[in-house]
Amino acid sequence: MLNIKPIFSSLLRSKSGPVLLLVQIVLSVAIVANASFIIHERLGMMQRDSGINEEEVLTFSVFNFDPSIDIDQQNKIDQQILRALPNVQAATSTNMLPLSGSGWSSTLNMGPDPETAKSTPQYAMYLGTEHTIKTLGLKLIEGRNFYADEINKSVNDPGKLMIISKALAETVWPDESAIGKLLYIDDEQLEVIGVVEKFQGAWVDSDDLEYSVIHNVDFAGYTYMVRAAASQHEALQDAIVKALMKENPNRVIDDFQSVAEVKKRSYRDHELMITVLSMMVVLLLLITSLGLTGMVMFNIQRRTKQIGTRRALGATKGDILSLFLVENYLICISGGVLGACLAVLLGQQLMKYYDLPQLNLFYPVVTVVGMMLVTTIAVVLPARKAANISPAMATRSV
Amino acid sequence: MLTMKNINKVFKTDLVETHALRDFNLEVKEGEFVAVTGPSGSGKTTFLNIAGLLEGFTNGEYHLDDVNISNLSDNKAAAIRNEKIGFIFQGFNLIPDLNLAENVEVPLRYRGFNAKERQRRVKAALEQVGLGARMKHLPSQLSGGQQQRVAIARALAGEPRFLLADEPTGNLDSLMARQVMELLEEINKAGTTIIMVTHDPELARRAQRNIQIVDGQVCDFTLYQGGQSHLVDTAEKVAS
Repeated sequence: MLNIKPIFSSLLRSKSGPVLLLVQIVLSVAIVANASFIIHERLGMMQRDSGINEEEVLTFSVFNFDPSIDIDQQNKIDQQILRALPNVQAATSTNMLPLSGSGWSSTLNMGPDPETAKSTPQYAMYLGTEHTIKTLGLKLIEGRNFYADEINKSVNDPGKLMIISKALAETVWPDESAIGKLLYIDDEQLEVIGVVEKFQGAWVDSDDLEYSVIHNVDFAGYTYMVRAAASQHEALQDAIVKALMKENPNRVIDDFQSVAEVKKRSYRDHELMITVLSMMVVLLLLITSLGLTGMVMFNIQRRTKQIGTRRALGATKGDILSLFLVENYLICISGGVLGACLAVLLGQQLMKYYDLPQLNLFYPVVTVVGMMLVTTIAVVLPARKAANISPAMATRSV
Repeated sequence: MLTMKNINKVFKTDLVETHALRDFNLEVKEGEFVAVTGPSGSGKTTFLNIAGLLEGFTNGEYHLDDVNISNLSDNKAAAIRNEKIGFIFQGFNLIPDLNLAENVEVPLRYRGFNAKERQRRVKAALEQVGLGARMKHLPSQLSGGQQQRVAIARALAGEPRFLLADEPTGNLDSLMARQVMELLEEINKAGTTIIMVTHDPELARRAQRNIQIVDGQVCDFTLYQGGQSHLVDTAEKVAS
């Protein structure tokens, strides 16, 4: 028997304790709902598929100090050495590391006339070779890879070809295949010869993260990517240093890290925010449950004789348990509804000032359900103690 | 209606055993008005608690309305308290946050009556004690005597077979005590069996039968018939 009406009337007549608890629940629901939404949104960002075999791609930098060195020639030799190493599946040099937070980006015109043509979205501009797709573990879903003889030495060379990410292809040519399509830098044209399923750029917070292009240019830079089983990376680092230093000792080889580690570093702020918000959610729920438990314990102490009287008048232990549960569920549901409204308002402000997406109503609803669960856990134990109060308490002088 | 045979109640701590009731024997017939007297600590409240199923007993036999009370489950005992027994407490024991109607309604809700039936009984009970017009008042807005009348209405609303009253006038002045006593007599005349624990010999004398408890045992019966009292030996009374 729930007896909601007299419990509600009773709560209205002794307001101070319930109102304080109500305020606590309203604030908790509003904050927890928004914090959970942000946590989920950040986790979603971190779990996005980059299209890259992040664990298997080992990256490093080579810093040359020999002024007489031919950088292009040395780069070519180094790539060959790397590919010849045991357990290496593929290797290439690159102008930028994916997900690293720094790199090259550009836009292209969608027509030959720069005055009238629309621009593509900003994309990450990778310069790569026929080895790039295999090295990164990208999945070619349409068209073909570069041939070895198509690789240019400079971005200014003629015969410009591109392999682009599906996201960019679908944005620029929504209803047709991108293969064979042309994009332009002024009056120079670039042809799309392949589409990869996914390939993220360097800037994890950018809206344009999914837009990437690999140009057929062997960039003789100082950054290399090698693909090998993650378990081989440690041994491979030594082998790389040994092999490259043997070829030319006047240099420093450093910054070994997998793309997974690069990614983790880029998402460090998000990870920190998730940790802080998670702790805040846990603390708020803990404080709310302590508040509820404290309130129930105080009420039991204050109403010992009343509970004994109710038992004497025919209340079962279950009736006493449900009295406290219903009493606190009423506070929790009222606080939950108000808190959910406040959560939406708070979400709107966060959206306005911090460029967050609109709060999904699923979060306030789940938070209220969670708060009901916290209420149950916080109330049941002390309420069971109350249910065990003897009906004989009604005749005692307490 | 109520039969107790050789009831013992022993409270045990690590160091001492206290015999609150010793071989306690009593029979109360339907429609009787019994006053229970005795010095403090004699076992009056323990008797009342056991009679009202508020606490158990160590050994002995107790039948209430032909129901063997020994080894009743907690829920069954609660149901019997709710249906058969009305309680009137010395301190009224009204719930301060509930108005008079809600207070009287408490045992009726535990009985599972529907709202219409509850309203009918609440109204009738409060009118019977002369407080029908103050149903929405809070207990704190009433005098002690009025509060005790609400407690009586609460006890009567469930139409119990008997009333257990623990010092019902203990917290009232003499005028209000007399009014409450008159109300109890009226209820008894209507057929409800009443057992009343009291310290007041004047009030006890107005009951049909007076039981004195000393050291956890029924010491004597006093029958009041036509204003004359007769002391009856306990053993003789039980045998009869």
